[in-house]
Amino acid sequence: MTLTHLNARGEARMVDVADKPESRREASASGFIHMRQSTLQQLAEGNLPKGDVLATARIAAIQAAKRTHELIPLCHALPLSGVEVDFRIDETGGGVQVTASCRLNGRTGVEMEALTAVSVACLTLYDMCKAVDKDMEIGGIRLEEKSGGASGDYRRASPAESAPIVTGEGASGEVSLGVRCDLGEPCVRVKCLAELRERLGVGEVAVPFERLESADINGLKTVLKDMDARFAGLEEGRVLCAVNQVMAGGATPLTADDEVAFFPPVTGG
Amino acid sequence: MIRVQQESFDAGDEQRALLAGRRDIGAVVAFTGLVRDFNERPDVQALSLEHYPGMTESALTDIVAEAESRWPLQDVRLVHRVGRLEPGDAIVLVLVASAHRRSAFEACDFIMDYLKTRAPFWKKEHTASGDYWVAERETDHRDARRWEASS
Repeated sequence: MTLTHLNARGEARMVDVADKPESRREASASGFIHMRQSTLQQLAEGNLPKGDVLATARIAAIQAAKRTHELIPLCHALPLSGVEVDFRIDETGGGVQVTASCRLNGRTGVEMEALTAVSVACLTLYDMCKAVDKDMEIGGIRLEEKSGGASGDYRRASPAESAPIVTGEGASGEVSLGVRCDLGEPCVRVKCLAELRERLGVGEVAVPFERLESADINGLKTVLKDMDARFAGLEEGRVLCAVNQVMAGGATPLTADDEVAFFPPVTGG
Repeated sequence: MIRVQQESFDAGDEQRALLAGRRDIGAVVAFTGLVRDFNERPDVQALSLEHYPGMTESALTDIVAEAESRWPLQDVRLVHRVGRLEPGDAIVLVLVASAHRRSAFEACDFIMDYLKTRAPFWKKEHTASGDYWVAERETDHRDARRWEASS
C-alpha cells in the first residue's frame, strides 16, 4: 500500500483526480463526547445557557463538512450532495454519540468530510456546554464505513467481530463483559460462547426486555429467532444456557438487566 | 484456593505453598493435566481454551465445596489455565491435601470428573489440517456419574 498524498520524492502532493471516473461516494464516521450526568441532563432538557446545543452542533457539523478542504491541506473541495448528522444521548455511557454521513457523486472519497463533521460537532458540543462542565472529553473519532471508488468498500468490524471472546492467537481468553443496551431501555444481555458463537456468527446482543412475550428463556429464544435467523442454530445440537452465570433451562424466568449465556457442552480439564 | 489464569504454573511451587507451615496434612495428591499432540485428530499444534469469567470461578468453587462435603479434606488448590497452549503445556492442576491418602485420591478424582463435565471451559484444537472445537465425550459423563451413584 502506498501513500497517495506523497510524490516520488516524499513531498506532499494533491492527487490529480481529473481522470478518475465519477461514482457515488458515501462515508460515515462517529465520535463520542463524555460528560457529567448533570451536564447530559441539562443538555437533554435544553437548559444550557447557550441554548439549543444539538441544533447548533448539527449546523456546525454540516458547515465543517463543506469546508473540509480549507482545513485539511491536500483535500479537494467537494460539492457534497448530502450531509446527515445524528446525535444519540447515551446515559449509560455518560455522553453523546455523534455520527455523520456524507454523500456525493464524484471522483474522490468523502471520509475526511465525515470525520471533520464529527470532530467539529464534538468541539461545538464542548463549546456549548463548557460553562457548566470543563471535564468533558472527546474521543473515539473514527470512520465507520465508506463505499464507492477504486479502493473498494470499507466497513469497521463490530466489536463482537473484532474482539471475539475466543482465546485466539495469543489473545485473552475472556468474554468481554458489560454490553450496553443501545436503546437506553431495560434489556436482557445475551452472549453466545465458544463454538456456538462461531457457528452462529454472533457474540453479544442486547434484547429490549419489553419484546419478550414470556419473560423466560423460551420467550427470549423466540425473540432472538425473530430478530435474526441465525439464532435458529440455538436449536441445533446440545446448547446449554446460564442466567446470571447460573445454569438455567427453558422455563427459567428473566428480569430486565439479566445476563444470559448460551454455550455448547463444556470440554475443559 | 482457585485460580483461572493465562500464565503457566509450577506444580512444585504450588504444592510447597500449600504445605508451608502445615503439620496436620498426611497426604497430598497432585493431578496435572497436559496438552497432548494427538486428540480427535493427529498433529495438534496448539489449543485455545475459552472460559466464561465469573461463572467459571463459581463453578469451580462449587465443585471444590462439594468435594469438601464428601471427604475430610484439609486443603484444595485448583489452577486452570485459559488462552493459547501448546502440546506439553500444563492445563490444569488439582492439589488435594488430607490426613489420609484415600480421601485425597478420591477427592482429586472427583474434582477432575466434575470439572470436565460442569465447569465452563471450551477447547479449540489447532491442527495441521485445520481448527475445530473439541466435542464433549460420553466417557467423561460416565466418569462423573460414578460419583452420583455412590452418594
